[in-house]
Amino acid sequence: MALTPETLPRHELNGLLVEVVDAANPDLVGIAGRVVLESRNTLHVEDVRDGEARVRQVPKESAVFEFQVTDEAADREKRSGTTSKLGRDTAGVRAGQSGSGDGVAYVTVDGDRLLSRPALRSETAGDSKWR
Amino acid sequence: MNVAAERIERLHVLAREATVAGEAERAREYVRLARRLAERQRLSLPRDFRRFTCDDCDAFLRPGRNARVRTRSGHVVVTCDCGSQARYPYGE
Repeated sequence: MALTPETLPRHELNGLLVEVVDAANPDLVGIAGRVVLESRNTLHVEDVRDGEARVRQVPKESAVFEFQVTDEAADREKRSGTTSKLGRDTAGVRAGQSGSGDGVAYVTVDGDRLLSRPALRSETAGDSKWR
Repeated sequence: MNVAAERIERLHVLAREATVAGEAERAREYVRLARRLAERQRLSLPRDFRRFTCDDCDAFLRPGRNARVRTRSGHVVVTCDCGSQARYPYGE
């Protein structure tokens, strides 16, 4: 199960390039960079601006993130034809090719889908009894 | 390979990069998250992950930088900057 647009909400977000495309707080829109840390309700994004790196903490709730997924995963995405430019599919993940370079897919994810403890996101079983 | 095993692999790489970049505390978070994933998913961590992380302070170890590696008879002793020691046997 490689990192594909389908598996992204269950996969590792740390280290991915991300851009905040929509948020309840307008100041957060436009933050772009690498995810350096994830908590249950927020993502810490390292935003490099004017050569100065700054770690911004963005709440997942009510924000929409655009992740940049590179290499083989993106190629497969293109071939399988799951790309839909319009709207969101049932999984709530929309992959839209923004057309900047080969081997790169831009995956737009609603932040509400990521609201979970980082370690529990990968789990496929139902509700855990160990809370 | 499932998602969790892959996440652990990614976190391993991230932890190494963070340590090289001088972000030791960030690397610790990656190591902790990888351990937590393995624990929850009942996976054993890869051997090189176990060997290059400190059991006590979760630091990612770089021999010569934040870890001392000495050989004794029959085992290697890896000492973290925090003082905790790990011994790994080697056979002959």
